[in-house]
Amino acid sequence: MPCKVLVLAEHEGGAVAGITYELLGMAHRVAGEMGWAPAEIKALLIGSGIAGAAAEIAARGAAEVIVAEGPAVQGYTGDAWHRVVEAVAKSESPEMVLFGHTPNGWDVAPLVAAGLGVPLATECSAIARESGAFRFSRKAFNGKFVQVIDLGTARPLLATMQKGAAPAFSAATRGRVRPVPAGVGEADLRARFVEIKKGQAGAVDLTQAAIIVSGGRGLGGADKFAVIRDLAQALGGQVGASRPVTDMGWLPHEHQVGSSGVTVSPKLYIACGISGAIQHIVGMRGSGYIVAINKDAEAPIFGVADVGVVGDLFEIVPALTKAVKEAKG
Amino acid sequence: MKSLVLVKQVPSADSPFRLNSSGTWIEEGNLTFGLNDYDRYALEALLKLKDAGKVAEVVALTVGPERAATVLRTCLATGADRAIHVKDAALEGSDPLSLAKVIKAAIQGEGFSLIMAGLQADDDNYGQIGPLLARLLDRPSATAAMGLELRDGTTVRVEREMENNRLLVVDLTLPAVITVQTGINEPRYASLKGIMAAKKKEIRTVALKDLGLDAAEVGGRAARLRTVRLASPPKGKGAEILKGPADEIARELVKRIREKTGVI
Ligand SMILES: Cc1cc2nc3c(=O)[nH]c(=O)nc-3n(C[C@H](O)[C@H](O)[C@H](O)COP(=O)(O)OP(=O)(O)OC[C@H]3O[C@@H](n4cnc5c(N)ncnc54)[C@H](O)[C@@H]3O)c2cc1C
Ligand SMILES: Nc1ncnc2c1ncn2[C@@H]1O[C@H](COP(=O)(O)O)[C@@H](O)[C@H]1O
Repeated sequence: MPCKVLVLAEHEGGAVAGITYELLGMAHRVAGEMGWAPAEIKALLIGSGIAGAAAEIAARGAAEVIVAEGPAVQGYTGDAWHRVVEAVAKSESPEMVLFGHTPNGWDVAPLVAAGLGVPLATECSAIARESGAFRFSRKAFNGKFVQVIDLGTARPLLATMQKGAAPAFSAATRGRVRPVPAGVGEADLRARFVEIKKGQAGAVDLTQAAIIVSGGRGLGGADKFAVIRDLAQALGGQVGASRPVTDMGWLPHEHQVGSSGVTVSPKLYIACGISGAIQHIVGMRGSGYIVAINKDAEAPIFGVADVGVVGDLFEIVPALTKAVKEAKG
Repeated sequence: MKSLVLVKQVPSADSPFRLNSSGTWIEEGNLTFGLNDYDRYALEALLKLKDAGKVAEVVALTVGPERAATVLRTCLATGADRAIHVKDAALEGSDPLSLAKVIKAAIQGEGFSLIMAGLQADDDNYGQIGPLLARLLDRPSATAAMGLELRDGTTVRVEREMENNRLLVVDLTLPAVITVQTGINEPRYASLKGIMAAKKKEIRTVALKDLGLDAAEVGGRAARLRTVRLASPPKGKGAEILKGPADEIARELVKRIREKTGVI
């Protein structure tokens, strides 16, 4: 069966990652629009000890799961993965190859693009037909704009898809599993997977906090964090932060909320001087009640907040601290 | 060991961002520009290795218009040894794969063992140039480095940032291309002495014809990745916005927090 859409499956030690089903959901949506048969949707699974994962993916969206197994692809390296993806893309000649916009999907997709000599759209939130062509929507300028791009007539079209871009495919399918040789020998590789390890851990555990007051780059310096600490203290909560704050060493890494920090779900989350980049939002949108204080009325943080104040945090936050103390008596 | 850092000049985050008249990019006239944040961390990673005596030379390269020379000067003042400026009007609007081809041509014969770039540029956020270049050079690469260690003259160990506060550790055989995530180190600033010293350092400017490349292949006109339009992001459900003097707003907030969460 020919292949129209090829999806690069992701897994962790054989457990299928959720993004895989979202990519399959996107693949089915695109195929539906184009009148492509569901039988032309395939997934590529790379690794070792992945028989169970292959069966699951075949039962949930992929008409065929191409399985490349072997010692050289046991742990992720771009060097090994791109060879497999390129080889399969060449033999299957799909119209489109979808990757997750995940640390490894984003790592390997450009390698494949350069290898195949085709353009790539990264961090896409949507794929749509427009004027007879596929158009890929993504954010640019750190979320200040949505950029719609066209990749021209070269095939395959390559895209990395943001999490949440499409609902996960959930219907039952009866796909088949087809092993292929990984085609990569350890001796060919110039990269060696060593291990996956925990990042730095600290004394604070924000995941358990009921109240979090977070500060962002808008604070302007480590010395300015007193206003955030005072409010957190008055509320009996913890101090959180966006990435630039921990990058610049204003606070230790364990305070970082977001995709590369911690995911929190307090009853109350107060974001001060935080713009609301997607990588921050994914870490805090599960909070019960969200307050945003930002001087920019257009800041995306107001899109996820329940209540917002457009203004200078250095006026609002101390006033709030005072009001909290008064209310508590 | 010779090393290269790829740098890009991008609009500063506090610039006024407005759409241009055709709605395909931002209006550049009223922007202020600076060195891409990620690239400052990439440069620092190399300067650290140079301080430690593990890297002999740090070269900075940018592809960009005349104004982009400023970021090369910043790199030189911060400690880079020399710079390469690829400048050609035909490159305006070139797509990432073409840019990577241009960079490959510009460093041919240099023999860089370690090539660093930012994980992404703060304007387009593509996150492509580093690995594209690696593949064109047929060398290994790793993205989103949060740790970097030269094991010996032949191997570099990279700690790549994964989700949920984990790191993937990978060893690459040199030459290799590594992109850097913010927070990997603490970038230094140019000292007065550095700024003075930079005046004597070389910035070599090259055009497409010097590289033997054809604008019809790598120029903006030939771009296959093309921006159709840029638009403001869709508004979410949107917060209720409180207005008034700070102390009144504060009392309103307390009231709502009390009603909605019961934590006060
Ligand atoms: C792979 C990857 C992973 C990432 N992981 C994370 C992560 O886990 N967590 C995370 O947070 N980010 C993460 N980021 C970074 C993210 O993309 C944003 O760059 C970051 O969240 C921005 O932080 P910020 O909102 O504090 O800064 P900015 O975006 O610079 O926003 C600062 C805000 O402060 C406001 N402001 C300034 N002064 C004042 C004032 N006086 N009063 C009120 N408001 C003021 C401004 O209007 C602005 O909205 C990641 C990025 C990548 C590429
Ligand atoms: N025009 C350019 N000149 C030199 N380096 C660049 C250029 N564009 C991007 N880069 C490098 O590639 C990284 C990623 O950029 P991008 O792929 O555009 O997100 C940047 O952080 C730079 O290190």
